[in-house]
Amino acid sequence: MAVLEIKNFTFSYPQALRPALNDINLSVEKGEFIGITGPTGAGKTTLACCLNGIIPHFQGGEATGRIFLHGLSIFNKSTAQISRLVGSVFQDPEAQIISSEVEQELAFGLENLGFPPGEMEKRISEALELTGISDLRYRSTIALSGGQKQRVAIACALAMRPEILLLDEPTSELDPVGTEEVFQILGRLNREQGITVLVIEQKTEQLAAHAGRILVVNEGALVMDGEPWQVFARQKELQAIGVRIPQVTRLAGMLGGSDKYSLPLTVEQARIYIERLVRS
Amino acid sequence: MTAARQNLIKVENLTYQYNGEQPVLKNISLEIDRGECLAVIGQNGSGKTTLVKHFNGLLKPSSGHVYINGLETGPLKVSTLARTVGYVFQNPDHQIFHDTVGKEVAFGLKNLRLPTEEIEHRVTDALEAVGLTGHYLTYPFNLSKGQRQRVALASVLAMHTEVIVLDEPTTGQDYRESAQIMDMVKKLHEQGHTIIFITHDMSLVARYADRTVVLCEGQILADGPVRTVFARPELLAKSYLSPPQITLLAQGLGKHAIPPDVISVREMYDLLLKARADKIGCCC
Amino acid sequence: MAAAVEYIHKDSLIHRLNATTKIFWALFTLVCGLLFNDYRYLLALLVSVLLVAAAARVLRNLLPAIAGLSVFALILLLIQALFFDQGQVVFHLIPKTNYLPVTNYGILSGVAMAARMLSLVLSFLVLLATTRIQDMVLTLVEKFKMPYDYAFMFMTTLRFIPTFLGEVRQISDAQKARGHAVEGLNPFKKIRSYAPVTVPLVLISLNKAENMAMAMETRGYGGGRRTYFRESKMRGTDYFLTAVLLLLLALGVTARVKGLGIM
Repeated sequence: MAVLEIKNFTFSYPQALRPALNDINLSVEKGEFIGITGPTGAGKTTLACCLNGIIPHFQGGEATGRIFLHGLSIFNKSTAQISRLVGSVFQDPEAQIISSEVEQELAFGLENLGFPPGEMEKRISEALELTGISDLRYRSTIALSGGQKQRVAIACALAMRPEILLLDEPTSELDPVGTEEVFQILGRLNREQGITVLVIEQKTEQLAAHAGRILVVNEGALVMDGEPWQVFARQKELQAIGVRIPQVTRLAGMLGGSDKYSLPLTVEQARIYIERLVRS
Repeated sequence: MTAARQNLIKVENLTYQYNGEQPVLKNISLEIDRGECLAVIGQNGSGKTTLVKHFNGLLKPSSGHVYINGLETGPLKVSTLARTVGYVFQNPDHQIFHDTVGKEVAFGLKNLRLPTEEIEHRVTDALEAVGLTGHYLTYPFNLSKGQRQRVALASVLAMHTEVIVLDEPTTGQDYRESAQIMDMVKKLHEQGHTIIFITHDMSLVARYADRTVVLCEGQILADGPVRTVFARPELLAKSYLSPPQITLLAQGLGKHAIPPDVISVREMYDLLLKARADKIGCCC
Repeated sequence: MAAAVEYIHKDSLIHRLNATTKIFWALFTLVCGLLFNDYRYLLALLVSVLLVAAAARVLRNLLPAIAGLSVFALILLLIQALFFDQGQVVFHLIPKTNYLPVTNYGILSGVAMAARMLSLVLSFLVLLATTRIQDMVLTLVEKFKMPYDYAFMFMTTLRFIPTFLGEVRQISDAQKARGHAVEGLNPFKKIRSYAPVTVPLVLISLNKAENMAMAMETRGYGGGRRTYFRESKMRGTDYFLTAVLLLLLALGVTARVKGLGIM
């Protein structure tokens, strides 16, 4: 059974002229790593907010269609209930940190849900371990680097042991090192823990390298949905929409590539591919 | 008689530290000429913003000197230097506080005490330069972040400064918005402005900058034409940076006579076609 | 300034005390400060606060704050001295004239006010420096029966002070770079000149607040009964000290009722 299913979902913000999301259909299996991209204002963040309960509980509007988490309608659940299934990480590393100490930060969500202290200890240690920040446990959150803050945010989401990790442009404010840290952890969590990852990003080169499936959202609609090579093969369309194509994939496209074996997604893949081309 | 050529910006043995802490900048020396387009890159904490804030006097050297047009910045006020060096901050929301775009762009000019007619004139020109002509009366927060970044750029443009400094002009923006703002910056460069920008996006550096300065832990690791610096990935790696994908690819294909300083996809494409043509032996 | 309200980790007797004891001590200082207005009693109170700070080994960290507060204290002293004109005149503020006389009682009363202000504020700062915020929140909710929402508000306010100071710095840099100047203006102009900093700050704060609220929602805030990760244990020392403070408080009230400690 799909862990997440969206059926004919349309959503409009209050007093908006057009829907922010238009007839979205999506099915996500457990263990997928999905990258979501698209221009500003396309509806990516709106979509994310529909998946973690912010819409409709925090932000109102009109919605038609259905969203199912494990076969159960999401709209019957409170955000507290949803938070056990969908962990969220937002763009601003500063604003989502609530405490001045890392350990307390991780405990926050667990305290809200009423876990006993023994269980909290287990989950906190585990989450710190999974994100590789056990050594930051007793540090002040305020002095951490951007990359470290986002890792703390991921750990906080993990402490709730969600099935799905939902991240909205988590590396937007980070430098290349921080960006790499975040994607490494996401990759590891996905591979080793089987956590389903949905990450919204503008950095398509990272998505191409890590995601197994890419969704392109434009003007409220899901316009592309496929494996990275399938999406990046549609280069003219992507350029018209305004989505960045990884440089090596664009090169391959210009050289006539159009299938899985002729559209490399990383530098290493491209090198091997070009070597083969040159030899032939 | 030869006039001594003055650099527009001259940094001499600049060291900077906050009270009693480790120096953020250590003995930096640098010269920037009129009309250059320079990218300052380096990991977080390497001192990029600290360095660049010395150019408009927001920071004054702990030791060493910074000269703008031959004048030392130490005794000068920021409002004085703001006439020569315009600074566009990373987050436009750190400066926008008026209720219309027009008033926002006019703010700097009012501070310079220019006559009203001149202000009107400059605001109109600046809005046109950034493609926001119809938005004089728009409430700035009804605009997207990319558009607000352009408002910030317009308010600096209106001040007619020789130098324009941009601190991470494309963070948080999508591909199209990033290209828009950088194309505008390029046009300004072509019109004669001196451009200095800080960024993490290496493909931006490749595409828009002529020269790049790499900072690492408060010191200059490399300073030269973009191609030359990008051809040395091991150097960039010290500041936890790597060249754009296409450059890395070129460096991996060295044995096929691909030079290590390819900085655009187009360039690589042409090189590959030529390599194949050479191999086949056709005459083109 | 941010450093003044942050927790400073040291291994001292005071740090090891339960948050309840420390909050109680701060309240005790507050009550004593308000009970008396004799400068001798209030100076003694101030000295006691400084001793506690020293025992907690945070005195040096708080010196910048103390320095800043002393300036206010001096102003307070002068104002009080000016308005209190009983007793013998010691000198005139405007020399060689008869205007603005400052009397000996005036000065002593001023000293009392200053000592009171310093004691109260410093005791609070010592409390913040020696107590982890989450321990304070826990105590406020469990022992002082404060609703969690209020304790949480208190905690996040403290947590965001350094963040907002950072924003203020960035905003004021951005406006300075557009030729905006704050120095050297008359008072009316000066107030208006703060708009370029306060307006963006308010807008950014609202934005951050909204983001934080969303983060809280997605981490189950408000979803029913709350538990706490760390417990708050009262030990022998805590009970003993609390008892001592209660005793001193009783003594203080008795003394006051008997008319001691007021000038």
